Amino acid sequence: MLEKEKLRKADVYSGAVIFLFGLWIILQAFKMPMKDSWGGVQNVWYVSPALFPLFVGVMIMLLGALLARTALKTIGFKEFGRTARWLLSKALFQFLNSLSNLRFYTIAVLFLSFVYLNIPRIDFFLSAFLFLVVFITSFYFDDAVLLKKLFYFYLAGMIVFVIFFGVGLQEKSSQILPFAGDILAIGFITAYCAYAWMLIRKDPALRKKYRTAMIVAFSAPFLVGMIFKYFLLVPMPTEGLFVTILDYFWYMEF
Amino acid sequence: MVLIERIGFFFQTVFHLGSDPTNVAILFGSVMLGIMFGAMPGLTSTLGVALLTAMTYGMETASAMICLLAIYVGGTYGGSYSSILINIPGTAASAATALDGYPLACKGEGGRAIGLTTTSSAIGTIISMLFLVSISPLISFFALQFTSFEFFLLAFFGILISGTLTSPDLVIKGWISGFLGLFLACVGRDLLQFYPRFTFGISELDSGIEVVPVLIGAFGIPQIIQVLKERFEIGETQKFQRILPEFATIVRNIPRIVRSALIGVGIGSVPGIGEDIAAWVSYGAAKNASKHPETFGKGEIKAVLCTEVANNACVGGAMIPLLNLGIPGSPPAAMLLGALMLHGVTPGPMISFEHPNFIIEVAAILLLASLTMWVVGMLMAKQVVKVLRIPPQLFMPIIGVLCIIGSYALGMNIYNLYLMLPVGIISYFLIEMGYPIAPLVIGVILGPMADENLRRALMVSQGSFIPIFTRPVALILLLVIVWTVVSQLAVFRNFKDKLVAKILRRKTPVIVLDEHDVEGS
Repeated sequence: MLEKEKLRKADVYSGAVIFLFGLWIILQAFKMPMKDSWGGVQNVWYVSPALFPLFVGVMIMLLGALLARTALKTIGFKEFGRTARWLLSKALFQFLNSLSNLRFYTIAVLFLSFVYLNIPRIDFFLSAFLFLVVFITSFYFDDAVLLKKLFYFYLAGMIVFVIFFGVGLQEKSSQILPFAGDILAIGFITAYCAYAWMLIRKDPALRKKYRTAMIVAFSAPFLVGMIFKYFLLVPMPTEGLFVTILDYFWYMEF
Repeated sequence: MVLIERIGFFFQTVFHLGSDPTNVAILFGSVMLGIMFGAMPGLTSTLGVALLTAMTYGMETASAMICLLAIYVGGTYGGSYSSILINIPGTAASAATALDGYPLACKGEGGRAIGLTTTSSAIGTIISMLFLVSISPLISFFALQFTSFEFFLLAFFGILISGTLTSPDLVIKGWISGFLGLFLACVGRDLLQFYPRFTFGISELDSGIEVVPVLIGAFGIPQIIQVLKERFEIGETQKFQRILPEFATIVRNIPRIVRSALIGVGIGSVPGIGEDIAAWVSYGAAKNASKHPETFGKGEIKAVLCTEVANNACVGGAMIPLLNLGIPGSPPAAMLLGALMLHGVTPGPMISFEHPNFIIEVAAILLLASLTMWVVGMLMAKQVVKVLRIPPQLFMPIIGVLCIIGSYALGMNIYNLYLMLPVGIISYFLIEMGYPIAPLVIGVILGPMADENLRRALMVSQGSFIPIFTRPVALILLLVIVWTVVSQLAVFRNFKDKLVAKILRRKTPVIVLDEHDVEGS
């Protein structure tokens, strides 16, 4: 949580955003049937589907306004003006560029790419391995320079993935080569591991961490995936190359 | 006669559940997992229950409840390990324990402190279990008299009180969080007319927002971001000797145990607020009642005892409104509500008719879980403590994968993941800006109840709000809601302060010296 003074400054903006959000809820609720007929049912205001959203919207709007007013009263207009100027200055860029924020961007990009890009298109085991290997190496090495380099490398890889999946290259290449997306993922994982190794190979302590990271990143999705897929009978979100190989061994008749 | 029958049935259930080897294995495994979740800073019992919910989907209801309640009990207790040994509370519930637990460990009494927390946590859970069994029929009886207006007001009260008590900053933020939760509950087709609200033509949103992915996102993702962003480090673990149950200390402190258990049960049964508040209130009460308050914070064994009894007593306390009214008493209880619904059990006043033995079963599981926790704590604490050596940078990413597979596995729906992540990231920003997350979650859970009952009540009364003023329970609830809101207003506080000052001034005897006295002096 932020410090008290910073909180009050942030409250002015969050209160305003919440006020606008409440207003949006109200506007959306007004589009719902209030007295008209819906599905053959003639509405009255007290059974309208808009009633509860209207109540919630009004409350959110009021509370948002109250929060912004309270915060503004505490910090004063002068301080508010100073905060507004800070938001338009170079200091904001410096703040956004800080190490703590870089850590946040790394986590956010990792999760966003894992959920929205990789899981729906790449074999679950491979996408989970990629996620873990990048996540663990980025933070476990505990080095700001390494974090930056690994993050940019991963970001570049994800841009390639976006292009590959976005322009329909996966469908085209799958006609020639089965599991094309998975093969691309294996290629990227190999490249990433090699790059990370190159960066840390001279440091014995980091080499040890690298080995631990690899073991954990491989064994965790393997164990979790096996439990869900074969014991709890939950099909994986995407079953590709790795699941096909596992299925082959799991259902093999000895 | 009925009472003896119920007691007989209770022990029969305990024996039945405890004699099944599968159940015993689940019990021990879940308690150990719970203790690990509690002990590892950054992981919480809520997250443990959330992640395990996905794994219990294919189990029988009784086995699933054993698994989830055991992890809840174990997680609440497990936080004390890191509080005592490394001065970092494993969970918020054990933050108060660290104040005196760590000084005790530094004095070389870590084993004694862990032994005492183990026994007192087990006692706290058992006392709360007794309350659950004895109070539930009474609450259930009253709840059956409730009509739609009462249920709407109860849900509304739950959100307000949870917002008021859990807010780390301004109370308004707690309320905003609750209403944001209510908004999320509005998404999907409404329950009376099936009109699509806030779905924007996305068919996956028609059935509304799934509670479990929201809970996993709201509790799991911010935790991962916070721990890794702030470069959280685990300190050196203090060494400790043999762990003894400390029965003599327990016997000497029976009145304190009873007081702390009552605090725990009471706070646990208030919607949305959990073990952390119970522990702090109990710590404060113990300090105020002590003849030597100066020893608190310097390794006072009574402080450790009181906080641990209270936070574990919260577990049973949180079950009381959950099972009888369908309102979760704490964040892990909110998670349990989601799990119960997955297993076709709808908590509420009708539970005693639809599942007549369910509350007894829950009580039996709580008893078994607390006994297992005691055994595990006594025999395996030294082994469990080894998990404290695992760096968060290694286990937090795995928790991330578990959050994702857990959200997906519940409905085998990838859309749950698309929902879980934004909820998690927004929750992180809300936490950073001082908004509590528990009211948001309570709002998502109680939203459908509030919406449906408000409209149903108005339908019956033809749009009139008069029944609120004519029905005693509804009127009491309304007054409590009004009081909750008004008591937070600055105008009211100023008025109250002035009034108190005026009364005090009147009560203070004013010595008036007459002229004669003045001259004489």
